[in-house]
Amino acid sequence: MSHIAQLSPLPVVLPMVGAAVLAGSRKWLNRAAADSIGIAFAAATLAISALLLAHSVHGTEIYWFGNWYPRGSVVLGIAFVTEPIGAGLATLAALLTVLALLFSWRFVDSGGNHFQPLMLVFLAAMSGFVLTGDLFNLFVFFELMSTAAFALCGLKTAEPAPLQGSFNFAVTNSVAAFLVLSGTGLLYAVTGALNMAQIGLALGGRHDPLVLFAFTLLTCGFFIKAAIVPFHFWLPDAHAVAPTPVCVLFSGMMVELGLYAVVRLHSVIFAQTFAAHEGAFRGILLVIGALTVVVGGVMCYAEHHLKRMLAFSTICHAGLMLLAFAIQGPVAVAAMLTYLLAHAFVKSGLFFTAGVILHRLRSIGEKALYGTGKGLWGVAALWFLGGAGLAGAPPFATMLAEAGVSHAQKDAGLHGVALLFIFGGLMTGGAVFRIGMHTFFGWGAGPKTDPAAEVGELPETAEENRKIFWYHYLPPAFCIASALALAFLPGWMAVLRNAAAAMVSQPAYLHTLYTGQTVALALPSWKRAVPEACLHGAIGIVLAGALACSSVFRRKLKKPLRVGDFLEGPMRPWRDAQSGHPGDYVMWITVGLAAIGSATMLLLR
Amino acid sequence: MQHVLNCTPYFVAAWLFFCGLYGLVTSRHLVHSVISLAILQSSTYMLLLGIGYRVGGAAPVFVGIAPGQLTVDPIVQALMLTDIVVEAVVVALLLAMVVKAHEKSGCVSPTDLRTMRG
Repeated sequence: MSHIAQLSPLPVVLPMVGAAVLAGSRKWLNRAAADSIGIAFAAATLAISALLLAHSVHGTEIYWFGNWYPRGSVVLGIAFVTEPIGAGLATLAALLTVLALLFSWRFVDSGGNHFQPLMLVFLAAMSGFVLTGDLFNLFVFFELMSTAAFALCGLKTAEPAPLQGSFNFAVTNSVAAFLVLSGTGLLYAVTGALNMAQIGLALGGRHDPLVLFAFTLLTCGFFIKAAIVPFHFWLPDAHAVAPTPVCVLFSGMMVELGLYAVVRLHSVIFAQTFAAHEGAFRGILLVIGALTVVVGGVMCYAEHHLKRMLAFSTICHAGLMLLAFAIQGPVAVAAMLTYLLAHAFVKSGLFFTAGVILHRLRSIGEKALYGTGKGLWGVAALWFLGGAGLAGAPPFATMLAEAGVSHAQKDAGLHGVALLFIFGGLMTGGAVFRIGMHTFFGWGAGPKTDPAAEVGELPETAEENRKIFWYHYLPPAFCIASALALAFLPGWMAVLRNAAAAMVSQPAYLHTLYTGQTVALALPSWKRAVPEACLHGAIGIVLAGALACSSVFRRKLKKPLRVGDFLEGPMRPWRDAQSGHPGDYVMWITVGLAAIGSATMLLLR
Repeated sequence: MQHVLNCTPYFVAAWLFFCGLYGLVTSRHLVHSVISLAILQSSTYMLLLGIGYRVGGAAPVFVGIAPGQLTVDPIVQALMLTDIVVEAVVVALLLAMVVKAHEKSGCVSPTDLRTMRG
């Protein structure tokens, strides 16, 4: 173990210390001091995580807490596994936290300086979640992440809507945590181990109803966090009411971490169990993913509340990432991780921009915003660029991920997954374009509206200062620019593809964990699919623009051409399902659990 | 008979799980929802304790007992303790939200709380 590996616990320890310092002294600190301390600790975490990432490229490091090294195949202690994907996600989480804290600089109401320590706890939990190699540890960080998130979501307790959103979020995600814990307990009962690698080794392809049951519980638990249909209902309620910087971390990181956990558990623990049922397993995930893309995309276009629209777009993109994972294999997982990275930047940029709109124009509903944004060209440019990024337009890194998916689906003999990527891009990009055309240009006959968009959100900032400062522009501009720059930066793709190959290989993970040595693997590549994805992205953005225009200029079009107008319409049953009642959401969780459980038991038997 | 007794904790865990779910789905009072969630969580206690239980096992205190003496599994008991801490935090946070909701809007029903839907 090198000296750098000794730093592995710091991405968790540093923000925790920062949170303790801030929480302890919050009564004596003024706003600027609390913000500065928060940013300093988050930036220090970012530096450490980036150092770990840079080091992990040369070889995975295993850190055993208290030097409890494994004896033979028996793991005695808890390990932090610093491999490029975990370290990369920790770096991304720290980066987004720094940007979110910078964005909230003396600006977003901090709820009596509770905001900064909670953000640091949230960061610590996310870092721990991606670095740990222990299943129970994973649950603890999952729960810590959730608890910090519930509190952050309900920070604006002056209004009833945040309480509703936060309560629904807390109930559904607590159920998720219990499912994960029950699954962990069952796996411990079967294998006597809590370390993921040792569980995988002990299971060794064992295939009985108990293992399938544990798999169902764990997967559904993480799917609730990842907002996969029918577990997605909490997400729009929570996003619509959380402060903007918190939305950035929810959509940019937290939701994706649910999917990361599914991929990690599948590769390390269940890979051999399902080796003989690859087709059925892929089929189940493809169906769930496609359902998520369709529901997320259609509802995204039907929303007129900016944050709710972006929240449904996150559901749609989580579905796309699940589809990428469903294809299976190193190329597909590398494509999924590329999409995760690109989406995190694009969606964070859009949420920051929505925050600037709320700050400057004092409203978040499309109808109230109509025509009020004329002259805000900087904000408009960021908004439209973000929309193009969601649609997977060529210079954005989302396009690279789509290329990977096209390549992987061809290798797997599948068709249509790439079409769903175009569909997702066109619905979410179209919704962003439509709102942009209405708000910044004031085109057309005026926007429609819906009941949720009429629930006014109190602006997050004080009325007297509506100026847009540099620290409002910097975070969204940085995010959008990163999503563009990633497509041109050399080097990172090779690292990511290599790491993805190591992630999906159970023998490689086991070997690394027990010996500390990294295995060299064949690099997956998808260069030849890039021109095709460019074409798909171009089609996507043109269709998204056309869809937005068919909504905006509906009066000038003949009936069959008013596609956007139709899609914006009532969609009654879909909207009714989004009832805002926690009981209904738990009912849907039960239905989803039963459906996925029976599919697993019947098809993967 | 012994076999049935061995399985009892799992039946109780499943029973508590479904009681909690039923309570959450049908709840018409926010405090009732929170308590249902706590009941749902107690199913995980039963499950974990059931997994660690050994018939005839002593308490896992390794002072003054012969080496090799059968004990119940201390690891799952530690997990369960962590679980209890988690529950305390979640329940406290949720109840605080309920108090806030009651203060702000005077409502204690999840149906009245919802301001945003669709």
